[in-house]
Amino acid sequence: MKRIIVLPILALVFTASLMALCAYSEMGWGNRTYDSALRETIGLPSIAVGTNYEGTRNPLLEIFVRSLYDVPGGHDYVVSSSFIDTPMRLGFYRESVPGFNMTMRKG
Amino acid sequence: MMKKHRNLLNYSFDCLRRYRMRTAVILITFLIATTMISAVLFTKDGLEREAELSVDSSPDLTIQYIKAGRAEPISTAYIDDIAKVEGVERVLKRTWGYAGIGDKTYVVIGLDPTGLDYSRGVITSLESGRFLTPEDDGTGNVVVGKLIAGMLKVKVGDDMILLSESVDANKFHVVGVFSDESSIYTADMIVMCLSDANDFFKMPEGMVTDLCVYVEPDQIPNNVAAKMTSMPNVRILDQDLLLRGYRAAYGARGGIFTTLWTILLVAIALIAFSQAIVVGHESKFEVGLLKTFGFSTLDIIEVRLVESAVLGFFASSLGMVIGFVYAAYFNAPALVDILLGWAFLPKEFHLPVLVSATSVFSIYAVTVVPLLITTVVPAWLNAITDPELAMRRAAA
Repeated sequence: MKRIIVLPILALVFTASLMALCAYSEMGWGNRTYDSALRETIGLPSIAVGTNYEGTRNPLLEIFVRSLYDVPGGHDYVVSSSFIDTPMRLGFYRESVPGFNMTMRKG
Repeated sequence: MMKKHRNLLNYSFDCLRRYRMRTAVILITFLIATTMISAVLFTKDGLEREAELSVDSSPDLTIQYIKAGRAEPISTAYIDDIAKVEGVERVLKRTWGYAGIGDKTYVVIGLDPTGLDYSRGVITSLESGRFLTPEDDGTGNVVVGKLIAGMLKVKVGDDMILLSESVDANKFHVVGVFSDESSIYTADMIVMCLSDANDFFKMPEGMVTDLCVYVEPDQIPNNVAAKMTSMPNVRILDQDLLLRGYRAAYGARGGIFTTLWTILLVAIALIAFSQAIVVGHESKFEVGLLKTFGFSTLDIIEVRLVESAVLGFFASSLGMVIGFVYAAYFNAPALVDILLGWAFLPKEFHLPVLVSATSVFSIYAVTVVPLLITTVVPAWLNAITDPELAMRRAAA
């Protein structure tokens, strides 16, 4: 009898642990004291991952995949294929980006 | 009534032990799938949240000069015109770009000395030394990120030489090193004053990379931006636009993995279904016997439902916990490359990992629910068959 309830008990324990981890993580991010004064002074968006790629910190322009690099119209609008979501439901899937002469518009 | 359900529970727990092969196959496949997808999703959420924090701290509006559809240096003559726009609090100049050291690219930022008034708070994220002051303009004093300090082996008081694009050697003096805590933002940064950055990038006189516009607290940035649209050759980026761009970038990278994972998930659902069919013959006899003993169709569905729920929650929850540990403590080797693309992750900091409720419930939704369906449906089909016929078919 004891052996057969090990799996259900573990299922409960892991699920409860995950919920606690989720709550802890959300609270941790909510209460996080990052240096906003530094970020406001420097004012550069994004973060320091991706330093091999010059686009990672450039406001907007190189966020878009450069499939054809500098060929006119070569900027390719990246559209997120979000996880279990309907891309068409997401605003940025349909909206055009001001300042861009899109060769093709989604939606 | 309660006793009946308790007995059904015990019976379904016993089934988990009895059908060992099916239990093991489902556990292993679900464990692998949820570990991988949770590591990617939690990391994607963390990266997005970090980017959001940075975008929130960025200027209300960033003004770029566009010529022939490309961003070029902008004249500081625009400052007067922009400052006159109703709702604009102040305009700061900024010159920034990239410097190559070895095979890596780092970010060089030249800050407007008038913006270094610390009115927005004291900058505390320094491991040693100090941050820049307006008096540092033109002196070659820099504050560097921990990654660069480690790579060049420089500390406060040392000099460092950077080669510019025009292959000139430029000497800088390190007055501060950012701390580990701010590495996610500062690891690749070399921060200096505006005139030093202009010299380094050989910017033409009176030109900067972009202009940072801060609007008055009671103004809506979009409304202020709308008043600038008649200015020639400018592109105005607001925080919302930047945020959408970054979400699209990280979301798309996460999406590539998600697509692959969806295929894997379908395979897993098929495995679960095939296991349900494989044990079907044995199960058919068992169901027939149970119905002869007085079990109802609902009782049989309840047994299978509990079995699947236990298996699904055990494997998914454990997989997500492992995925979290894999991402948060081991930096998700192999998987993180998909998210970072051509980027690399400096060893100086860990991946930002966020276990969001949305991701957790999403993973449950695509693992536990299909498992319930793929096991309960065959059980229901068995349960509605005449018991005698079911046992005869199973015995045949």
